[in-house]
Amino acid sequence: MLKRFIKYALLIFIISAVALVIYGGYLSAQVEKRFSARRWSIPSTVYSDTTLLYPGQRLNPSLFNQKLVNLGYRRVHHLPSQKGEIRIAPDALDIFLNDLKTAWTQRQGFLVQIGFSEDRIGTISRMDSGETIPILELEPEEIMQFFGQERERRQLISIEQVPEHLIQAVMAAEDHRFFQHYGVDLRGILRALITNLRHGSIQQGGSTLTQQLAKNYFLTPARTITRKFKEVMLSVIIELKYDKREILEIYLNEIYLGQKGSVAINGFGEAAYFYFGKPVKHLTLSEAAVIAGLIKAPNHYSPYRDIPRCRSRRDAVLQAMHRWGWITEAALQAALKQPIKAVGFIASDTKAPYFIDYLAEQLNTLYRPEDLSSLGLSVYTTLDTQVQGAAEKALAKGLTRLENSNAALQREAPEEKLQGAVIVMQPKTGHILALVGGRNYSVSQFNRITQARRQPGSAFKPIVYLSSLSQFTPTSLLSNDPKSYTVNGELWEPQNFEPVTEYTVSLKDALKKSYNLATVDLAMQTGLERIVDMARRFHFSTPLKPYPSLALGAFEVIPIELARAYCVFAAEGVQPFPLSLKEVVDENDKILEHQYLNIERLIRPAEAFVMTRMLQDVVREGTARSLQWRGVSWPVAGKTGTTNDFRDAWFVGYTPDILALVWVGFDNGDPIKATGAAAALPIWADLMNAIPQYRSETDFKMPNGVEKILVCSVTGRPAVAGCPEPLAVYFLADRKPDGYCPLHDRGGIAGKIMKGVKDLIDGE
Amino acid sequence: MGNKFIQIILFILLALWLTACPKPPLREVPVEAQEPATVEETAKENPRVVASLQLTDQGRRLLEDRQPDKAIRVLEQAVSLHPTNGQNYYYLSEAWLMKGSASQAKEFNQLAEIHLKEDSEWMIRVANQADRIAELEK
Repeated sequence: MLKRFIKYALLIFIISAVALVIYGGYLSAQVEKRFSARRWSIPSTVYSDTTLLYPGQRLNPSLFNQKLVNLGYRRVHHLPSQKGEIRIAPDALDIFLNDLKTAWTQRQGFLVQIGFSEDRIGTISRMDSGETIPILELEPEEIMQFFGQERERRQLISIEQVPEHLIQAVMAAEDHRFFQHYGVDLRGILRALITNLRHGSIQQGGSTLTQQLAKNYFLTPARTITRKFKEVMLSVIIELKYDKREILEIYLNEIYLGQKGSVAINGFGEAAYFYFGKPVKHLTLSEAAVIAGLIKAPNHYSPYRDIPRCRSRRDAVLQAMHRWGWITEAALQAALKQPIKAVGFIASDTKAPYFIDYLAEQLNTLYRPEDLSSLGLSVYTTLDTQVQGAAEKALAKGLTRLENSNAALQREAPEEKLQGAVIVMQPKTGHILALVGGRNYSVSQFNRITQARRQPGSAFKPIVYLSSLSQFTPTSLLSNDPKSYTVNGELWEPQNFEPVTEYTVSLKDALKKSYNLATVDLAMQTGLERIVDMARRFHFSTPLKPYPSLALGAFEVIPIELARAYCVFAAEGVQPFPLSLKEVVDENDKILEHQYLNIERLIRPAEAFVMTRMLQDVVREGTARSLQWRGVSWPVAGKTGTTNDFRDAWFVGYTPDILALVWVGFDNGDPIKATGAAAALPIWADLMNAIPQYRSETDFKMPNGVEKILVCSVTGRPAVAGCPEPLAVYFLADRKPDGYCPLHDRGGIAGKIMKGVKDLIDGE
Repeated sequence: MGNKFIQIILFILLALWLTACPKPPLREVPVEAQEPATVEETAKENPRVVASLQLTDQGRRLLEDRQPDKAIRVLEQAVSLHPTNGQNYYYLSEAWLMKGSASQAKEFNQLAEIHLKEDSEWMIRVANQADRIAELEK
């Protein structure tokens, strides 16, 4: 009987042992697979462009300060000694720069002093050597991350970067015998069992760091015997396959350590920035103990939640470290006295959401969403967060001002409120510096810069005038008389915006004053097909038909295409492709995607310049002249636009350095009861006044093929001595007025005949 | 009446005679009315230009090291600071030549020509560059 029992027991033991070995082999393969493959999903990060600083540069102090805050610089009152620290003096800023690393440049952080002189940077110099720096590049700013379903943030660290006191703090908090056991700590389990029995409830866990890792990686949170058995098996296998420091590194990168809004903070690399705004290697003993203490219950002990509770937990960790002999009494006492100062965070992650949507459309053509949320790509963009901030602020202020000035524009429902949109570009490079697609992204994600189709009104007229330059000159006379046109069998009678007495007007004055009748007259003489062809060359993608109303901007356009069209005038006749993406780089700094400045010549530089001069007159003396008393005193060219019944208000303005388009209107087409000059132009002016760093205040450069000629203000012909108030007008060299002013040229035959006739009449 | 008729005839003859030697017109501004400042002259006054020239130089050095991608990035920054410095376009054209794109090289070469037209030495380089682009296009 006993023999049989022993036999069965042996058999069961052998079968169990074999099963255990097979199961162990299976788990081992799982561990191998999991650890050899990508261990974590790292979201791709979108960055703004870098920021250039140079002596003499104008600055907007509030936007610049915000930039430094966004870049993670923190104010100190001593001379900065660590990267990311700044000291503010009355006329200077001492900065210990962070490292700069992009696809195209990199440098180590160093201590620099930026001296200020009124609203400008005076000097930039290294504080170690005193060497002056002609141009300084600040690192790009993180704009957003493409998260997967797990919504985790994680900055990977290697064990070499981790200070010893942090490792000890983690061990003191969770598993002080980590370097002694083999994955499972029987002593720890026994101690936890006794404690729990004494209290009659679960007070202490006996899990080692390895067990916690196994649990996080492979298991569900359910508390069952089989799960616990599997956890123990996995822990032992992990310990057999990897050395202690490897396990510790994985643990330090894996563990959950808090919550930033809806996003989980995982690993000590991310947590060090989230709580203390510094890399893990710079954590003090006190800070290390705070984060290590969070492992037990990250949100319960969070310094953002309850400082006294957090301090009590930190102190317990420090005491444990002292108990195990890892820190001295003096170090313990010093650390216990340290206050806990978390750096603070802003939960709303996404800046420039409309820009990001536009960018994401392009990224989605290059990468699958699951790759964007897991491959840890770095996406560098053209966005300038200072310009973006200024554009958002100017738009919000402008729309509120309009609503306050006219109660009829106020709407209760957020989705029905007055809307607006702004795009800011560099006309020569096509870089999109800022994009605001609407008033409130959380209310409406419809991007009114890239998705809306709106009538441009008079903002389309420059295309008409450009089309006419091969037949007309800026001083050619146009009829400003009311006329009727038949379109598709229907009578169409355009009107000027307000009654005028000028029945004949020069081409440049018609544009300056935005006369509708003269513009239609010009369009009809130029040929409507020619205008449609020109618009197509300018890459307007919406349907445009050769109807007379085309001249007045009656056909809808997409705002970004209108902005792009104006770039041609600012950029000597070449059109840049609008760029939001610059580079995509993988985790190993390999460049996966470049997007460069890409240009196409559409018109001659001389034509672009002549158009710009006429559009400068719009700002100096025409419908946009109010810019001058809004603080815009430097050379600007631009055009206002107002559509029928005041449904849309536009202003597109540019300098040689920067171009911005502003649109204001209701989504449902309700009238806004204001012109482009009254509604959109003030927003443009506020925006430009807020970004002085983009103003060179230089004039447009005259290319070959243009002649500046003094013409008679009455006849538009080259002026002679008798012409009153002659004007300097720019003409294409191959299309300029010939002869001289017939009216005032006393030496010419016409003048002499007129004088003779006058004398005759006087004689009688 | 007769006197009046003679007066008119004399007047017409006089007018025709005077027309043959018209008074010179009011000062007509020549083609190069706006005397463009050189890059160096502008640099003295404009901090953006000074900063841009640093980037231009950096871009040139990157091209010498045959790193056209990095050079393009730096030169784009230079253009954004000082869009009228033709040297930036010249070097951008060089970068695209290095990358084998004749069409982009050509566009930047034309921009360089616009902005460097007052500088005869640079215009020789621009013309040589245009020849190399034409060669690449073949």
